[in-house]
Amino acid sequence: MSDLWGPMMFCVTLGLIFTGYPVAFVLGGSALAFALVGHVFNQFDLFFLFAMPERTFGTMSNYTLLAVPFFIFMGTVLEKSKLAEQLLETIGALFGGFRGGLAVGVVVVGALLAAATGVVGASVTAMGLISLPVMLRNSYNKELSLGVISASGTLGQIIPPSIVLIVLGDQMGVSVGDLFRAALMPGLVLTGAYVVYVFGLAFLDKNVAPALPLELRSTGLTLLRQVILSLLPPLTLIVVVLGSIFAGVATPTEAGALGAVGAMVLAALNRQLNMTTLKAAMEETSRLTIMVVFLLIGSTMFALVFRGFDGDIWIEEMLTGIPGGALGFLIVVNLVVFILGFFIDFFEIAFIIVPLIVPPAVVLGVDLVSLGILLAVNLQTSFLTPPFGFSLFYLRGVTPRNIETTAIYRGVIPFIAIQVVVLAFLGWMALPTT
Amino acid sequence: MHHPRMLILRRLSAGIDGLNDAIGVTIRWLTLVMVLIGATSAILRYFSRGLGMSMNLTPLVEGQWYAFSVIFLMGAAYGLNKDVHVRVDVMFERLSARTRAIIDLVGTVVCLVPFSIAMLWLSFPAVRNSWSIGETSPDPGGLPRYPIKALILVSFGLLLLQAVSHIIKQVETMRDNVDPEAGTSHLPMPAVDGAVADVPNERDDA
Repeated sequence: MSDLWGPMMFCVTLGLIFTGYPVAFVLGGSALAFALVGHVFNQFDLFFLFAMPERTFGTMSNYTLLAVPFFIFMGTVLEKSKLAEQLLETIGALFGGFRGGLAVGVVVVGALLAAATGVVGASVTAMGLISLPVMLRNSYNKELSLGVISASGTLGQIIPPSIVLIVLGDQMGVSVGDLFRAALMPGLVLTGAYVVYVFGLAFLDKNVAPALPLELRSTGLTLLRQVILSLLPPLTLIVVVLGSIFAGVATPTEAGALGAVGAMVLAALNRQLNMTTLKAAMEETSRLTIMVVFLLIGSTMFALVFRGFDGDIWIEEMLTGIPGGALGFLIVVNLVVFILGFFIDFFEIAFIIVPLIVPPAVVLGVDLVSLGILLAVNLQTSFLTPPFGFSLFYLRGVTPRNIETTAIYRGVIPFIAIQVVVLAFLGWMALPTT
Repeated sequence: MHHPRMLILRRLSAGIDGLNDAIGVTIRWLTLVMVLIGATSAILRYFSRGLGMSMNLTPLVEGQWYAFSVIFLMGAAYGLNKDVHVRVDVMFERLSARTRAIIDLVGTVVCLVPFSIAMLWLSFPAVRNSWSIGETSPDPGGLPRYPIKALILVSFGLLLLQAVSHIIKQVETMRDNVDPEAGTSHLPMPAVDGAVADVPNERDDA
């Protein structure tokens, strides 16, 4: 009987989350209710709850989490300073002359924006608004255009400095710097795979992604000037922020603060640093901070009570008992996270699910950094998968009505296939070497 | 049709919203403060290390997370008013305004309010203790701890206030979305004729 409290609490709480009431308070309220009922039935010691103030204080003074608002601030300032617009125009002009060039431009800009901002919705929206009309006007294949935009705009999940990786680092107890370092390769491999796919397609079929006619291209000095003016500043910022982390000169938190100041300097150089930009960045940053931290506080309450019912032991026994050991564990965990990723946001997964899968992963000898990268790529794939993928909604929101939703779905399928291949490879890497 | 009691409640709700909105637009400046403190401390740490000096950066490092804490502790209630707290909306966004109002009302009464009260009750002894000994940072040059810990109480107090405003608004939404007569009778009313049913609720132009 007493073994049932943990599973019951887990299922009821997960069900209640789907009512649509703010998750942070569902978690806190449901945990409290289970604690009280469990106490009445002599199954729960209310003393567990007195850890809450200390835990809350721990969240307040959490140095790693500080990096989250810093990178959000940096990303919003860059977004409001028309960085994406300028990059897309320049890269488009740079590559437009080749077959498939516009689409490759989208991949490159997606990767650059990912490294500079890490905010997925913003990249997909910007590229959907700017690049999609250009590609369609130049008789690019519709599905290819839609697919490349959603896939490239979602690269921010994995390419550092990704907010996903910061939160995963905090929750898994591994160094964010290590996660960033480990994510760089998979991020570049994905980017490269997209580029190869687009060029390959354009090479095989000359009607899929035709080259821009000559009169639409800027050339020579004009282009060079354009490239230097729009590409160099954000590139410098990326190199400084990521470089200082990788060189071990700055912590991710310090690099985030410097990046935010750097973004303001760039915006000022672009004459875009005004009250509107600043207010938007401050509002966005405080809202996300409030949302993320309260979700964490609610999750902490959930975790405390769940532990009080030995729920963590239940999960650990279940996950370590999967046939196939580490391989079985990775398959099950990734399937669960993939499916949950359709419905619930990354932060909920990171705060509720991830702390529960870390102990069994350690028991099974799975490398935590590799597991973190695997989860980040997995969520990215989940965000792209029809019909629930978040990125697809963002793109749908900015595409003209005459483009059917199924065209977006058909368009992302090849990119999902590419991600699954990379995912399988990463899963193989995460397996313990024996 | 509308009792003066309803008017008072509506004013109370507007007052609470106004208070938390004012807090919200003030605390957002702390994000900029936090960025500037963070960058300053990063630069100072780099250069002091390079020059072989030792510099006590504790106040700056702590100042960063104090600003961070003030933002979410003071801003939680503002966030509730602005619907910032993340929802799983696969189902929620397909529901009618009335059903959403019911979910929000029930959720606030059975989740948010008890949780906030529990957090106040659980944190009070710790905060009182910190306050009575005038707790400060264990690190030399660190900031006093007791004010920032007291903000936990302020945070959940403000959340409770905002919950009251939330409840008033959800009840109103539920009434407005049944039919205009619902304020006087809770019996299901047959739809009489469109002209009467379409008369909007009188607005209290207060």
